[in-house]
Amino acid sequence: MLDAYSLLRAMNGIREEDIVMADKHFDSPKHVRSRTKRMVTLALAAALILALGAGAWALFFSMDHRVPEPEESFRIHWEESPSGYIEWKNVGLAVTFPETEESRAVEFRPGWLPEEMASLQDDAWASRLTAERLCFEGGADFVPAYDDMTQPMLIESFAMSQFNQGGALLLLDYTAGAVTEETWVDRNVDVLYFSASIHFDANPEHDLPERTLVQNYVLLSNPEAGWVVRIGGELDLETLLEVARNLEIRETGEILRYEDFTDHFALFNAGAG
Amino acid sequence: MEDAAIVDLYWARSDRAISETEHKYGKYCHSIAFNICGTREDAEECVSDTWFSAWNQMPDKRPTALSAFLGCITRNFALNLLKARNRHKRGGGEGALALEELSDCVPDGTDVERSVEERELERAVGRFVAGLPLRERTVFVLRYWRLVPVEEISERLGFSQSKTKSMLFRTRKKLRAYLREEGLC
Repeated sequence: MLDAYSLLRAMNGIREEDIVMADKHFDSPKHVRSRTKRMVTLALAAALILALGAGAWALFFSMDHRVPEPEESFRIHWEESPSGYIEWKNVGLAVTFPETEESRAVEFRPGWLPEEMASLQDDAWASRLTAERLCFEGGADFVPAYDDMTQPMLIESFAMSQFNQGGALLLLDYTAGAVTEETWVDRNVDVLYFSASIHFDANPEHDLPERTLVQNYVLLSNPEAGWVVRIGGELDLETLLEVARNLEIRETGEILRYEDFTDHFALFNAGAG
Repeated sequence: MEDAAIVDLYWARSDRAISETEHKYGKYCHSIAFNICGTREDAEECVSDTWFSAWNQMPDKRPTALSAFLGCITRNFALNLLKARNRHKRGGGEGALALEELSDCVPDGTDVERSVEERELERAVGRFVAGLPLRERTVFVLRYWRLVPVEEISERLGFSQSKTKSMLFRTRKKLRAYLREEGLC
């Protein structure tokens, strides 16, 4: 009779390497996260929890993020530049990923979009979906709310292998607010999301008022398959999260390696034009 | 002491093999046995039996992962004890709780011929676990191989308890489907 007892005993069939891996994650003191939180006083907690918490979470969470120093520069491939690259400073956020030998390429299609973007919804699968046309006056489905240089929504897929050896996804010029990390178990993805803003003083010469622009970003990643999908733009964060939750993602069968990319940085910024 | 050196002590039939094993893996095996049996006395008995069994199995065996090798022996002793003492009810430690949880995966009334099919079941479980994503695999192994309480898994890995429970629930559902596909239940 196959009963729960037999099944519990059959767990002896679990491979040694899986047991050792689980033990390693469980027993290593540096991976103790919330226990540490309780042991330290509140006064010490902020610094200590940040340090230990980040380490512990990083063990499982497939994205790491940091705010680079303002003077830190990143060399980004840029065909328009005579040298073929540009050095970019003022990076508001850099997100990095675990070294990944092979990434499975993906494509996606939205399962849900806000009403104003209904014209973008069809059954086609894409690796890049832009709502750019909604922000240019004169377009057939122009939406006046999106008339800035950013755009309402851009969805794009990336490969973790692209970012090996120090590569990163960079947020340029904008300042990132609080970054939230979650895992959506049902989708088998790690999720990172945040709002970013940039402030402009009034410019009477060009008749521009003081203003603050906001972009929001949601990053989905699957560490086993090595893919990353970024959903970003001017849409509010809750809406972008809803788009992300309903985004259908499938693998194309293509395998992407580090050598397949000429540049090992990519940008968050969902610019238009 | 490195695992390979401890195994060498067993092969050399040195008494130090047991003391070194106890020093390095005593707590580990004790926690597995305690999680299954739920009492300190039973756990100590299982651990003593584990050292004796390891002494008898080496040589001929040369385990590549000593922790998993010893843990497996401890599990078997503890599960035998659990069965013998009929503790398949609430209150019998994590073993009883794990049994209750795993009953999701095995419908009543399914016959399995002992031995051969048990081995096949072990192999199927091994394959199933190997195919799980890292997070789910870690949580599943800790819960059903090492029988660590859900609260402790959550605390150590930095998950909320509800997240750990839902992860386990989904994995058990997948396991049930997998066992069905394999014709094992």
